[in-house]
Amino acid sequence: MGQSVASVAGRERTIDVDFALIGHQESWRAAADVLAVLRGPERTPLPDDEIKDILPWIPPRAVCHVEVGSITGAKARGFYIDSFIPPDRLQAAYVHENIARVRGAAACAIQAGAKIASLGGFSSILIEGNFDQLPERHDTVFTTGNSLTVGFIVQGIERMCALERRNIRRSTLLIVGATGDVGSGCARCLAPIVRRVLLNARNGERLRRLATELQADGVQVEIATDLQQLSAEADIVICAASLACPSLLLRRVAPAAIVCDAGYPKNLSPTVQMPGVKVFFGGLGQITGGMRFAPDFRGILNRHPFPDVVHGCLLEGMALALERRFEPFSQGRGAITKARVEQMEAIAARHGIYLAPLYNADGPLEHAVPCQTQWSSAAVHRPRPDRIAESVF
Amino acid sequence: MNSIECTSLSTTAPIWQDILAQAMTGELLAAMNYTSLSEICTDPAEIADALEHAQGERGHAAAFAAQGRKIGVQVANNVDAKHWKRLREAFLRCIAEHDFIGCLIVQEIMLESFAVASYSRVGKVAPGSLGDTFAGIAAEEEEHIGHAISILRSERALDAQRFDDKVYHLHLVVMTTLAQMLAKECKDGHCEVCHASCVKPSLFEVSLSAAELRGASLQQYLKTLDMLGIPGEITLAWVSQLPV
Repeated sequence: MGQSVASVAGRERTIDVDFALIGHQESWRAAADVLAVLRGPERTPLPDDEIKDILPWIPPRAVCHVEVGSITGAKARGFYIDSFIPPDRLQAAYVHENIARVRGAAACAIQAGAKIASLGGFSSILIEGNFDQLPERHDTVFTTGNSLTVGFIVQGIERMCALERRNIRRSTLLIVGATGDVGSGCARCLAPIVRRVLLNARNGERLRRLATELQADGVQVEIATDLQQLSAEADIVICAASLACPSLLLRRVAPAAIVCDAGYPKNLSPTVQMPGVKVFFGGLGQITGGMRFAPDFRGILNRHPFPDVVHGCLLEGMALALERRFEPFSQGRGAITKARVEQMEAIAARHGIYLAPLYNADGPLEHAVPCQTQWSSAAVHRPRPDRIAESVF
Repeated sequence: MNSIECTSLSTTAPIWQDILAQAMTGELLAAMNYTSLSEICTDPAEIADALEHAQGERGHAAAFAAQGRKIGVQVANNVDAKHWKRLREAFLRCIAEHDFIGCLIVQEIMLESFAVASYSRVGKVAPGSLGDTFAGIAAEEEEHIGHAISILRSERALDAQRFDDKVYHLHLVVMTTLAQMLAKECKDGHCEVCHASCVKPSLFEVSLSAAELRGASLQQYLKTLDMLGIPGEITLAWVSQLPV
């Protein structure tokens, strides 16, 4: 039986459930690995065609228990809930089906009694502006987690500039997907410290509104719904949305530009698509107080080259749970400000949640800061390089 | 069903014949199960309930047979076919142990989940009165589940661990058999219900597929287990471990 699952879950959820993390698998390979863990080592893994047939029918539900530690000694417990959005159904054509799945996952969080739920990946994108689409919330509050995501993207840009000895103040910043919650948050945080800002998004009206807001603070802004219409080359780029055609970006970036892939799924490959460009995966943080899964999904749900690295959106819920501050910190679309980001970063830092060491699809870009975690060992946390862009956590 | 419908079904009639045969066999097995259940009940109301259910299932079997006649096919049944026989044996073990709750779990949670989900899918694609019959019976079976859920939830409230262990024990036997029945291909020979070769590869001709019927059945099963209150992470592992 799934003894390992049953034994950790207990029969009744009598324990306090501090947080729920709602996500989905980014690739069929990731989904296959999750199902392989659930099947156990004694059973042969399901063939790919069976996984593609079965997964879309699985209703949203908890997959594992998650426990996180703070450097203060505090602990918080929760669940990872998968909405089981099929990895090949992330497009707009499936939006209603996917919203229904996120609603189902949210209902699981509520039923489990989670005090706070973070909406990871597409889960937050789908409901960013529509929190009323979530089920009636009872005692569970929801956060998109986007404030901490923005914080880690901005910190990542700053660290990458330091590593590459770039002067951020002389840089031209391009944000792709600029009018989304994460994109606009990044614009508000970084616009005041760069020379010039280029904003790209599909919705012209939203672009104009954001530009007007930034220009009111004296920022030099150019907007375009078509990347190719921008007049300048960028030397820092934030891709806040997954790019359907990453090569389009190449024509608008300066040689050796710094590119932060903050989209979901992450799909920028430095060697194949962006020769010469310094790509890193943005929006990731590391829990230095440790993180434990039961059953053990280490390296399966979080496929990063460093231990205890998690997407900022999910970390926000964990940080708020460790802080015992159960509030819908990030909600809506376009409401993220520099002050809120700094507030969230301070909460995270109090519990030892910091920017993760930088890496991209080819591997680490810097040496890991020694991470004294309670439960994790860097040695066991080395996913194959070709898998590190596919992390649900 | 009018003559036009009959004509339109003529090419697919052999497929519907096998679908109806599986459904009819399931209904007859359910009727046998409820009759057996009535024999271990002590409360007159429970006995009456079980016998009423048995009668209802026989009515469903008759309705499926009638639909076969309308499209010009003879609907066979075989409750001794290998998979169905194993399911019956699992139920009879509960009867032998006078395990009323076990009987409800097997019949109402496992077998009816399968019936409700697959009949609903068939009901959506089958034309005319054939589709109406499947859809109508799916709705009736769903009512059974609702009634059983309230009894089983009360039972689980007494001792969740014991209850979940019992469900798991029965799951291993019953759901493994159902998973084999629902596999995309019958890997261990003829099912002994289809009138000729296996119907599964032909299901696409009537806008169905074995994968869809399996997926819908497992989804219904998981949702039913959710209604009982068994944690989702546990039932997910159970279902993930089934054969394909």
